Amino acid sequence: MVATVNYPLAYFAERLAGTEQVSVLFPVPADRDPAFWRPTIADISEIQSADLIALNGAGFADWVARASLPRARLVDTSELFAETLIETESITHSHGADGEHSHTGTASFTWLDFEQAATQARSLATAMERRIPAVAVGLHARLADLEADLMALDAEAEDIGTALSGVTLVATHPRYQYFARAYGLEIVSLDWDAGAMPEDAQWQALSDLMSGTGAEVLIWEAAPPEEAMVRAADLGLAQAVFPPLANRPAEGDFLTAMRASLDALGVLALELATD
Amino acid sequence: MTQTFEHLARGFRALLIALALGFAASGAHAHGLNVFAFVENGEVVVEARFSSGRVPTEGTVRIYDDADILVATMALSEDGALRFPLTGAARESGLRIEVDAGSGHRDYWLLTPADIAAGLDASG
Repeated sequence: MVATVNYPLAYFAERLAGTEQVSVLFPVPADRDPAFWRPTIADISEIQSADLIALNGAGFADWVARASLPRARLVDTSELFAETLIETESITHSHGADGEHSHTGTASFTWLDFEQAATQARSLATAMERRIPAVAVGLHARLADLEADLMALDAEAEDIGTALSGVTLVATHPRYQYFARAYGLEIVSLDWDAGAMPEDAQWQALSDLMSGTGAEVLIWEAAPPEEAMVRAADLGLAQAVFPPLANRPAEGDFLTAMRASLDALGVLALELATD
Repeated sequence: MTQTFEHLARGFRALLIALALGFAASGAHAHGLNVFAFVENGEVVVEARFSSGRVPTEGTVRIYDDADILVATMALSEDGALRFPLTGAARESGLRIEVDAGSGHRDYWLLTPADIAAGLDASG
């Protein structure tokens, strides 16, 4: 069994396994954010029994540092590009003898740079081959297929990056740091709840951000209420829904859902170009 | 021979603590406090440390069972640690141990039945 901390790794493991003898465990409920999910003791017990535990690295899923996990069965799939992870803003505060200090974070949605996603898939394949002999037959071919799919996403994202060059995008949540870096996009982020109707103060913050940056595009992390899309359109924003897929999509899989998001961004780029 | 085994077990445990506390400090949302718990000589040992390396001198330790029901609340000792007897129920169910050292510094450790059994085996 391969245990995974997010849906992209679960999808990669399912593609790479190639046999029903190897199961893939992704225990996060569909309505929870895997980045902040807290497992139960029963979840940890099941994960501890896995042949391989696939971590995303980059600080994704902080529960992995809060339980005993067998080190020989862990694979940090972003280790090969750890030097180029993106640091996020720090929280500064003070207390007691520690004085004022900061806690910096790391952007953790690494797979939104599809070349990095391919690297993660390769690391996972190497670890699966080492830990689970049953996957060895045909593994390299399955990995090649998966890499080809990811690099096709990469090529489409490159085209979108080119088409949206010079356009500022606003994301409803800070998830897209690696997507922006990989494809040359300027993305500034809000901190809105996924799928919820923003409050008046949040709309005001968006208007202020538009004034300050000249942003023309709004990326929704999850489909919002219809009235929210109408209100954003009234502000003059072009919009696209782009779930980062940390959790399993309601329909389709990683590839089809990611293609749909990129297609939506592509259509939006065309519309902006013809306006 | 027994002394050698105990020495190795202590060394291994110290390594686990260092790895756990160091690893926890690298989390994207680690907020300054790292917690580790293990079983030794029939007791649950809880250790807390700020990511700066400083030991919290006070704090509240909340113990939850496998259904995440609060079963006990205790105070952290001045050395940033706490020891309490392992009950039969905890041995069967495992524990979630949360330490709140104030100012938003709160963290937890999940101790599974397998961890507890390994701790009991290692300490004889």
